[in-house]
Amino acid sequence: MKHNIRIVVNGDEYCLAVDPWKTLNEVIREDLNLTGTKLGCGTGDCGACAVIVDGKAVSSCLTLAVSVDGKSIKTVEGLAPSGEELHPIQESFVETGAIQCGFCTSGMEMAAFHLLSNNPSPTDLEIRKGLSGHLCRCTGYNQIVEAISLAANKMQGCHCKKEES
Amino acid sequence: MKEFSIVGKDVPRTDAEAKARGSALYTDDIRLPGTLHGRILRSPIAHGIIKNIDTSKALKLPGVKCVLTAEDTPKVKYGNWRLFPETQDEYPLAVDKVRFIGDEVAAVAAIDRDTAEEALDLIEVEYEELPAVFDVASSIAQGAPVIHEYCPSNISVNRKIKYGDIEKGFAESDYVREDTFKFQAISHAYLEPCSALAQVDLDGRITLWTSTQTPYIVQCLLASTLGMRENDIRIIKPYVGGGFGGKMELRTWEFCAALMAKKTGRPVKFTLDRQEEFLAGRRRHPMTIRSKVGFKKDGTLVSKDLRIQLDGGAYNAMGPTATFLCGNFGAMLYRYPNYRFLGEHIYTNKPPASAMRGFGAPQSLYASEVQMNIAAEELGIDPVDIRLKNAQVSGDKIPDVATISSCGFSESIQAVAEMSGWREKRKSLKPGQGIGIGCYSFISGGVFNWFNTQYPFSAAEVRVFSDGTAHLLTMASDIGQGSDTALKQILAEELGLRMEDIRLTTADTAMTPQGDLGTWGSRVTLMAGNAVIDAARKIKQQLFGAVSARFNLNVIHDIECKNGRVQATARHDYGMSFGDAVAMVQKANRGEPLVARGSYTPRGKGLVTPAFGFGAQIAEIEVDKETGLVKVKNMWTAHDCGTVINPRSVEGQLAGSIQMGLGYALSEQMIMDGGKTLSLDFADYKMPTAMDMPPSEVVHVDTFEPEGPMGAKETGEGLASPTAPAISEAVYHATGYRCKDLPITPEKILNATRDKAE
Amino acid sequence: MRLPRFEYFAPKTLEASLELLGQKGDGAFVMAGGTDMMVKMSHGRLKPRTIINLKEIPELHYIKFNPQNGLEIGSTALLSEVLNHADIIEHYPALIQAVQTMANIEVRNMATLAGNLCNAAPSADSAPPLMVMDAEVSLVSSRAKRKVKLMDFFLGPGATVKNVDEIMTAITLPAPRPQTGASYMRISARCGVDIAAAGVGVAIRLESEVLAEARIVLGAVAPVPLRAVKAEAALVGRQFDPETVQYAAQMASEEASPISDVRATRDYRKSMVAVLAKRAISEAYERSHARHS
Repeated sequence: MKHNIRIVVNGDEYCLAVDPWKTLNEVIREDLNLTGTKLGCGTGDCGACAVIVDGKAVSSCLTLAVSVDGKSIKTVEGLAPSGEELHPIQESFVETGAIQCGFCTSGMEMAAFHLLSNNPSPTDLEIRKGLSGHLCRCTGYNQIVEAISLAANKMQGCHCKKEES
Repeated sequence: MKEFSIVGKDVPRTDAEAKARGSALYTDDIRLPGTLHGRILRSPIAHGIIKNIDTSKALKLPGVKCVLTAEDTPKVKYGNWRLFPETQDEYPLAVDKVRFIGDEVAAVAAIDRDTAEEALDLIEVEYEELPAVFDVASSIAQGAPVIHEYCPSNISVNRKIKYGDIEKGFAESDYVREDTFKFQAISHAYLEPCSALAQVDLDGRITLWTSTQTPYIVQCLLASTLGMRENDIRIIKPYVGGGFGGKMELRTWEFCAALMAKKTGRPVKFTLDRQEEFLAGRRRHPMTIRSKVGFKKDGTLVSKDLRIQLDGGAYNAMGPTATFLCGNFGAMLYRYPNYRFLGEHIYTNKPPASAMRGFGAPQSLYASEVQMNIAAEELGIDPVDIRLKNAQVSGDKIPDVATISSCGFSESIQAVAEMSGWREKRKSLKPGQGIGIGCYSFISGGVFNWFNTQYPFSAAEVRVFSDGTAHLLTMASDIGQGSDTALKQILAEELGLRMEDIRLTTADTAMTPQGDLGTWGSRVTLMAGNAVIDAARKIKQQLFGAVSARFNLNVIHDIECKNGRVQATARHDYGMSFGDAVAMVQKANRGEPLVARGSYTPRGKGLVTPAFGFGAQIAEIEVDKETGLVKVKNMWTAHDCGTVINPRSVEGQLAGSIQMGLGYALSEQMIMDGGKTLSLDFADYKMPTAMDMPPSEVVHVDTFEPEGPMGAKETGEGLASPTAPAISEAVYHATGYRCKDLPITPEKILNATRDKAE
Repeated sequence: MRLPRFEYFAPKTLEASLELLGQKGDGAFVMAGGTDMMVKMSHGRLKPRTIINLKEIPELHYIKFNPQNGLEIGSTALLSEVLNHADIIEHYPALIQAVQTMANIEVRNMATLAGNLCNAAPSADSAPPLMVMDAEVSLVSSRAKRKVKLMDFFLGPGATVKNVDEIMTAITLPAPRPQTGASYMRISARCGVDIAAAGVGVAIRLESEVLAEARIVLGAVAPVPLRAVKAEAALVGRQFDPETVQYAAQMASEEASPISDVRATRDYRKSMVAVLAKRAISEAYERSHARHS
């Protein structure tokens, strides 16, 4: 029996009828066509499928879509505040060379988003711990760590400006 | 060194923003209406005869639209070594026999993935199991089961190299040693699982989007296996999530998607899951290397006898090339006056090994680098000095290979020793800490035309427009390494345009010029780069003609394309905008668009490679003496890749190589039980994480490669080799354990140190 | 990688979920974080007909601490919530040591301690520290409630004393006592996401300088988290000194009966138990000293 669920994804509300055995990853990719979220392993070990559910980063491949009924979800497509400008995290990934093949990128950015929401100025070690569930085969991680550190600076910069104004 | 305006700068990658936004489309992201989803039935046994396949129940399952077995196919064998058809040993779907656990037996396409998977369980296959072999020794033993009928010895390829007189060399040596090394299989572990999507157009032609490194090879082999004409098949490479050598052949799912699309008239998509990738996916060759080397007392290399057996698994795949190259890598780094190589590629009933970042170099160089370290110790010479003594230099001739043009190897060794504080640390580190060195040399693309293409190795078409823009079309395939950006930089530099002035169309066999052999062997920057320059120079000639005529220039004037202008180098006012110059040329040619084709095929460069990259790396590590766990604390690298086109990208390649080398040295292995792969997920296949990565420092040694585009040559693949020997030497320095069978597990370290203590 | 076909319920109360569980009988499974179940299902190792998600039940989602009664963790409290809980960080550092090595951030944002225990993997990181700190689990069915010592909970890989009609509702730990300390040490091949090749949990209580009580539990070296009785005996009644610790660690290693698998060999696991036991005993001792009042 299909279940009717109501979810808010990147600010848009969707009402869907889903089979209980469908994962959140399948619904995001197949039903909503938000293909920025990837599937790298299906066992929660690689991080490529990470999305934010009610403020927390989770593995969409290990989440049943029915279980997020009523919740709010952010995917990589919802990261940039406007359609045009990049989020500081995305901008930093571009600037530092943190992107090669790009398949891990959206998951890495969601991990960075989660990390920086909880810890606005993380140390190098804290960033590395924050990425411990995310595999990358191209970059050797160092430029990704650099990107997140740069993003933290940029976001703090924004924050200060806001407070001043 | 020549000054460039775009080459050599940290230009952001052209695809970075799309990837950062999540809008870059990979094959599985592409949606076509009515798409069917395919799954593959794989052999559960390592070796056996297929007695019968009954697909009737699967076909009856609602939602199933097509089931394929070999009987539904033309049964044409394929393989990348078209020049030697007997090496083409693989069918898209098993014919009569299966040869490894995971061998492809049948395929299903259904309205969704779950239905297709359900149908796999309904296919009944009757096997007669045959004895199987899982290592090279048993495979070549007397009376071993024959894996391919055409090859009763199970040795599918052998390669010999011989120059000088090794016996005489050993007789003249003061110090001779022989060691045996063994290597595990590792996985490419690209993050994007393989995927292919096929569509048939109204007149029966096929378009295939696929996660591949080699669109042209897929096009040709798909045509031959389907019995179609090459031009009736169009391969498009969307964004690819890494390859590292694992996506450079025709694969079953590409064939099945195409054939099923033809049979059903609907698009068909196959996407592998990670378990399949680990169970049946290509991998780096396990090898046994026996190496005998002779030195003079002062450390001068005299003679080397190298024998390598590659455990190829059930099919040749890219094994023949790896066999070929192992022999070259065995004598590429140092001057060996006397050298003999025998390489054998041996079938076993395991998933096929194939090309993987380094193509035989990581194994071959590990053996030679560890032996250099042993010899240095026993001869009482510093490992850095023994290398400097024997290092290849520019102008050295490698017999039967080539004369080395640019070579910054000695400079690399010296630079890395200095930046790491080698000489001090070698003496002063505390117990449990160690420092070690490893070096590499690598090819910049291959010369030997095993694919037997009639096209140029790389080609480019450049179209320029009166609005001051250009369009670059090339079949070169960016699989994440950044070649799209590098080629754009090269063209922008050559035409004096900005990055944003250039539109790029790549890796589409129907739209981009034939041909391109693909992304492997570090060939793209040099070969496609040269093709781009060739095309750009043809364009420039015409533009220069127009400017010269317009300003009635004296014939002695040099003309240049710079800052969006075409102008006399000495008199910028004798010039016009790039766009105006294009318009002038067009007008002079009755409106013909200004287009030029360029190509590159190596000439006069022997049979191996047109250029060589070199480098040296030092690792500093610490070993927990109780647990045997190794922590890599620092890596220093100095390398010679010729002109650096994009420093950020080169540094990214380096860090990625270190990650892979770290895994190869310490933690990664395909754990097997006979023919069955046991490491089937990332929890058990231990790829290094961000926490495992050491800080890394790099120096680019300044050289200029005359054969390369703007002086550039390979980077990033050679770098996959030095990490393991550097770590291995550092572990020896820290603990006294010398590893000759990778990976260096904590248990091996503990056993060795315990034995020593006892 | 195909998930089995099942029906799904997300009741809002414990009562409703117990009723459902009874009603659906065989083939009905409760799910908390689901991270282990999803992997098992996609590998075809678990084929539920019914899944009852507990995460929508507010009464199970809590962490309570007071210095008299100790700690109580509701069965749907997330690992990440455990990890960031100030009282747990202060009073139960051994539990923090275990949880911070479990899986990765995304999984810790979904998974629960109760799920880790009910999954009953021999390598479950949370089991050894909870067992040595004398944890109890609350099991509730529609007919009865009972508390079971975690020491007595595990029967084998994937098997526990929990009946099919029972739901684990909470994990309780006694209040920290003066002069006690606990530690958990584990080993695996890499720093990030990984599964323990061996783990050792230790808790001790000092009376002046004598080791009055000791609990040692070994993970990933037997079909269940294994209590190392001989190692405990080797400590009790003695003073903390290198020889005593070394001997107890040796005993622990002898008691371990691991297998060889893809993660490590039997021999390596056995020798690591000795190393980890030594380190965990030492750390537990230091902590017991720090906690004098």
